[in-house]
Amino acid sequence: MSPIPYPPTRRKKGLTKKLVLSMLLVGILPLVIGLFLAFYQGTQEIQEVNGASFETLATETARKLDLVVSEEMFRTSLLATDVTIIAKLENLRDSLNELSPETRNQLLTHEQTAWETKDPILQKNVLDGPIAQILQRHMGGTFIDPGHPVPVITRSATRGMYITDRSGRVVASLDAAVSYLHQETVWWKGAFHKAVGQPYIGPVEFDSRLGTYVFTLALPIMDSLRYEAIGVLHRIYDVKEFFAPSIDIIRFGETGHVMLIDSRGVVLSCPILPTGTKISDDRLIPLVTPMHQGWTPAPSDGHGGTQSSIIGFAPLTNASQITQSSTGHSWHMFVWQSSDELFGPIQHFFKWTAAFGLLGVGLLMTLGYAAASRITAPIRRLQEAARQIGRGDFQEILKLSTGDEIEELADEVNRMNQQLASQFAGLESQVQLKTEEVKYLEASTAKILDSVPDPVLMVGMDERVEYLNKAFKEALSLQNDEIVGTSFFEILPLDPSTQTRLQEELRLLYGSQPHSPIQYEHSSAPATLQDPLIPANWEETGAKRQELRFNQRTYRYRWFGVPAKPGKGPSAGLVLRDTTEESLLQDRVIQGEKLASLGVLSAGIGHELNNPLVGVIGLGEALQEETDPAQIKQYAESIVQHGKRMASIVRDFTGQAGKQFSEAHSPININELLEQSLATVKALFPSCSIDVQTHLRTLPLIQGKAFELGQAFTNILTNAYQAMKKGGCLTISTSWSENNLEIAITDTGIGIAPNHLPKIFDPFFTTKSQGEGSGLGLTVAYRTIHKLGGEIRMESTPNQGTACLITIPLSPSLVK
Amino acid sequence: MSHRRSIKADRVLGCFLTLLMIASSEPILHAETNQELKSLSPSKVADYMHAIVEADRKIYTTYIVKRMQEQGIVLAKEDWENKNAIPLPAQFLHISSKLVAESGYGIRFRLISRWPIYRRNGPATEFERKALEELEQNPDVPKRGIVYTGKKQLFQAIYADKAINTACITCHNAHALSPKRDFKMGDLMGGIVITIPLED
Repeated sequence: MSPIPYPPTRRKKGLTKKLVLSMLLVGILPLVIGLFLAFYQGTQEIQEVNGASFETLATETARKLDLVVSEEMFRTSLLATDVTIIAKLENLRDSLNELSPETRNQLLTHEQTAWETKDPILQKNVLDGPIAQILQRHMGGTFIDPGHPVPVITRSATRGMYITDRSGRVVASLDAAVSYLHQETVWWKGAFHKAVGQPYIGPVEFDSRLGTYVFTLALPIMDSLRYEAIGVLHRIYDVKEFFAPSIDIIRFGETGHVMLIDSRGVVLSCPILPTGTKISDDRLIPLVTPMHQGWTPAPSDGHGGTQSSIIGFAPLTNASQITQSSTGHSWHMFVWQSSDELFGPIQHFFKWTAAFGLLGVGLLMTLGYAAASRITAPIRRLQEAARQIGRGDFQEILKLSTGDEIEELADEVNRMNQQLASQFAGLESQVQLKTEEVKYLEASTAKILDSVPDPVLMVGMDERVEYLNKAFKEALSLQNDEIVGTSFFEILPLDPSTQTRLQEELRLLYGSQPHSPIQYEHSSAPATLQDPLIPANWEETGAKRQELRFNQRTYRYRWFGVPAKPGKGPSAGLVLRDTTEESLLQDRVIQGEKLASLGVLSAGIGHELNNPLVGVIGLGEALQEETDPAQIKQYAESIVQHGKRMASIVRDFTGQAGKQFSEAHSPININELLEQSLATVKALFPSCSIDVQTHLRTLPLIQGKAFELGQAFTNILTNAYQAMKKGGCLTISTSWSENNLEIAITDTGIGIAPNHLPKIFDPFFTTKSQGEGSGLGLTVAYRTIHKLGGEIRMESTPNQGTACLITIPLSPSLVK
Repeated sequence: MSHRRSIKADRVLGCFLTLLMIASSEPILHAETNQELKSLSPSKVADYMHAIVEADRKIYTTYIVKRMQEQGIVLAKEDWENKNAIPLPAQFLHISSKLVAESGYGIRFRLISRWPIYRRNGPATEFERKALEELEQNPDVPKRGIVYTGKKQLFQAIYADKAINTACITCHNAHALSPKRDFKMGDLMGGIVITIPLED
């Protein structure tokens, strides 16, 4: 057995790579996952923390601004509850009530004209009257309410303030740049509210006269009983100046700020966006203007940026109650910071963490490679030791001091090596012993084969001789073993056809399993390859004999298979037997038998032909002397009859009737044919007292030659009559089944001896005395029945009788 | 769920406000159309109105606010407009008062108190201030009188307003702007002022 080659060592550092890769995976995967989770969680927490902060800031700022608005409304309402103003307005109400509607309208029209033409008296009353002076004192900070001084900011944000009476005409104002009648204005109607009175805060609008965005605060002035509205206090504020002091100061970071918008998205005050503009993204409006505080992630920042952002929001609850009832709008705080700034720290953290992570990966690879090398080095030594053990040349003790499983593995390898060495030592002695045994077997086998008288030879697949015994050497007149290794056909002087035959047999032998039969081309029986020492039947006759002839000797031979040696192909054995004398003797016996048969045949033919020939001669002599034409004709007919008889005899002997009397196939009624044959035979044996019984069942017709079949029946019936010369009973019966006709002819004659039964169909075999039978009757019957595909057999008991049983197959189309 | 409760509460409130408007305006309309009833004194009209206003507020307080709060359906809060809530009983009266005023018949009613949470709900006149003082001594006798605003003549009747529900005293005692925080059940908290114009 050849040693198993070692695989190439191209995966020399595979384990190191795997270990480094595993370390990287173990190190990097959690790092990356952790990094992304930290980033995600950090982003979420920043959103939540900042969102909550923004919400709180928006809520507090909204509350603060709500207080500012409420305080402003309260301070302004002090004017609306001033008793002087109320008394004046009650007087004006009473005065107007005393007028008829027409007169009242005329008066108002007249006063409006006077105001527009800047009538000095009217302007003085409005701008410097007692109520106007109260307004001026209020704006100057000297209003009589020591506990509630008017803040400077709200004073500076005021762009106008005037009071109208119940008819909507201006009765007092800080400046003359106002219209005189306001009864039809929205703010006046909103504040007067059908004399019930309610606060009114107008929408943010651009005042072209003032050149700025303003909003209006209108408060009803109720009468002294608070029963009904008797006028309206109207105040106009610059939106930016009113709200900016409370809003613009709130900044955080670089971009964080708060702004005030209304529910339409119009900016009231913002450190960045101008007042009166709308926020840049309408999608934000429903998100940031609910009537509750909160925060939301938004798709944009509302300041023109498209980055997502976080927005805190809160409504100005109290102010919005008034603005909603006045204009349907509400006011909301909006707290925002840019996403870049908001998420800057976490992104910064992410970048640095990623950078440190990459550094860590590098360190991990370096350290991992070093660690993996330390692990794989002893494993490589183990691998090399295992390889040497496999080659059988490992002698040293493997010493590894890793202090772990590898060291234990090295110890196990050492133990395994020692055990293998001891086991190999035992194996060598056993191999030597077995080798000696084999040599002994070879020598004893050679001795045995040399002692065998038959020549024995072994040949390989390459047709070269591997072994030949002493008898073979003697047969070939060889003196030494030099013949071993030469071609088988070089040492055997055979003719080409015999060589070809042996080569073919050898090929068949190698192509078949050991001991499987080889079918010889010229033999009908298979030759079995078998052990040459097993006694073989060498007595086969004729063509079945396998013979070789060389050196004027005749040998019969047999092939046998020899199991292949390890590492070599199978061999074939040839055993010969010298049959030179045996063959000569057998040939002589056969020749003698043939001569004997020829004698019998000649005697039979002569006897059969002699009687009709005597008749022909006698009739011929009578014919020479006869002059009567009729008698001559009769003699001639008799001569013809005798001639036909002789022709029939010759035909029976030669079996060539078919050639002489070619007869076509025709439908045959077996029963009729039997009766005709019986009549013929009866005529031949007129003196025999035989009881004939027929049991003929109606049979279907068969196709065949009626003459041949009739001759067969005649021969069988003749034999039966000849066996019952002293009388007896002849029974003829016919029947048929689905496939066959069956005919039975039974006699009660002398029977056939058992040793004759197997030969009764052989040609020329007869037990009758000379002249009674040619030995061909049953042969003809056998041949005829077999031509029809049928069978004929004889059953006989000596001195009791014989039964001839005939079976003829039916053609399906003939069954009727 | 809370939104549905809010709608339910708003519907209930709307029904009561409508009922109040009809109930409040019905005697006046009859007084204008029936000669027999023209002789009905403002004092009687004020008494009728007070009875209706009191009944409406009591129903609202007892059968709506209390039950809804007990069943956890909705709470009554001062800033009810901005939250999922319904008005406090006092706000209910203010709102109904405003609706009656907006009807244009000149009749007004409002709550006043010597300890108002908001200054606007304090007594507006000396008559109202003295009435509250007298009601504190004798709450069962309403204060009635003719009052003037300019030359306009009106009849005013001021009825005692007692703490009839724990919700009222709880709110007033806890409110940051309340000047008095020791109200008890049955205490006089203020008065209901009913004002009826005596001329067209």
